[in-house]
Amino acid sequence: MVAFDRVRAAGLVKLYGRTRALAGVSLELHAGEVTVIEGPNGSGKSTLLQILALTAKPTDGTLTFGELDARRHASTLRRHLGVVAHASMLYPDLTGRENVRLYAALFGLERPGARAAELFERFAIGSFGDRPVRTYSRGQLQRVSLARALVADPTLLLLDEPSTGLDVAGVARLEEVVHAERARGAIVVLVTHDGGLAARVASRRVALQGGRLVPAPEGPPYRTDLEARSPDGHPPEATERSAASAEESR
Amino acid sequence: MKALLRGAWLVAAKDLRIELRTKEVTMTTSFFAVIVVLLSSLAFYLDRNVAAQVAPGVLWVSVAFAGLTSVLRSWGREREEDALRGLLLSPIPRASIFFGKLLGNLLFLFAVEIVVVALVALFFHLEPEPLLPTIALLLLGSFGFVAAGTLFGALSVQSRARDLVMSIVVFPLVTPALLGGVVATRELFAGATLPEVVAWIQILGAFDLVFVGAGYLLFDALLSD
Repeated sequence: MVAFDRVRAAGLVKLYGRTRALAGVSLELHAGEVTVIEGPNGSGKSTLLQILALTAKPTDGTLTFGELDARRHASTLRRHLGVVAHASMLYPDLTGRENVRLYAALFGLERPGARAAELFERFAIGSFGDRPVRTYSRGQLQRVSLARALVADPTLLLLDEPSTGLDVAGVARLEEVVHAERARGAIVVLVTHDGGLAARVASRRVALQGGRLVPAPEGPPYRTDLEARSPDGHPPEATERSAASAEESR
Repeated sequence: MKALLRGAWLVAAKDLRIELRTKEVTMTTSFFAVIVVLLSSLAFYLDRNVAAQVAPGVLWVSVAFAGLTSVLRSWGREREEDALRGLLLSPIPRASIFFGKLLGNLLFLFAVEIVVVALVALFFHLEPEPLLPTIALLLLGSFGFVAAGTLFGALSVQSRARDLVMSIVVFPLVTPALLGGVVATRELFAGATLPEVVAWIQILGAFDLVFVGAGYLLFDALLSD
């Protein structure tokens, strides 16, 4: 069930000592949309995601989920959030099933075991789900991590560089999840340097630079000058095309 | 209150499940405590009178260091794969995480204390009478310094100076509890009864209340960015 249909950030400022990570970010996110946040390293993307995930408090500015103020209703709102990041947030000495069951219980679901079984079926997590997480490959880790994040059918799904280190099949699975969650009516926010993924799933693209929102560039996703140039000097589009055709030929 | 207790139990049960599987914390800290007791008995045991004076210090030092090592390791598990962030993203009250970790850490330490008390009694030839009240004192004292360690150990997850957190913040804070525990135990070994050391028990109880209260009130703020 969708608990709110929009998230509104107004004038978000985040200071870490003298460092200004966010310098007045205003943004509105809507149900059924995938918003891709682009920007170079250190531009404030992860800080913005932490604030949206209610794990960091803004120094200034307001954040509302529907009509609910994030500061006053954080505990209630956390029931409706799901986060996938590069780190899996799973306990390596527990099995995948134990981890997902734990999170289902933490989110107050009445039948955590049954919910874990449902998600294991959805993500085709076979017998490896009953092995300790420490033994997983990156792709297996991602599948269980997605199951963990979706345990309570989140209204707001935050994805922070989720495709880092994944193979083609892993990225495709991630893409399917993003499309399915958008179709379900969730608000999806994706921070990624993976231009291909961003282009395929984005309903809308915004960019952060120096802690401020700037108009997203047209065409390929935001890159710094250094990132935009491949080692052999080709423009990024050409590099992506050649990488894609190399994958296809494999 | 129900949500707080339920969340705490889930966190503690998770820690116990991991510990039963790996036995990492209890084995390493027990080994450390056994070495301290063994070396101390070799170094300081002269006769029964000296033993009764030295044993309280040995007991509390080994339990304190084992306890704080166990707390650090327990928080270290939350650092792997950024697992603590997963807990912080869940809707359980933040204080549940504190109480859950506290309960888990206490149970690990109680397991170590059983071994330590038995070994101290054996190597220092202690009379059996004061052992029961000594165990009660240990439990009371452990509660306070594990609460302090659990509270500030959380900082170690996010801080790169995690070892400094323990040596600069936690050890000075738990010193009053250790002093109270050592002195009260020494009195018991010298023949005092439990009512005669009630002042020390009250100090330990107050210490427990302060750090459990501080954990309840400050844990969220300590973990906020």
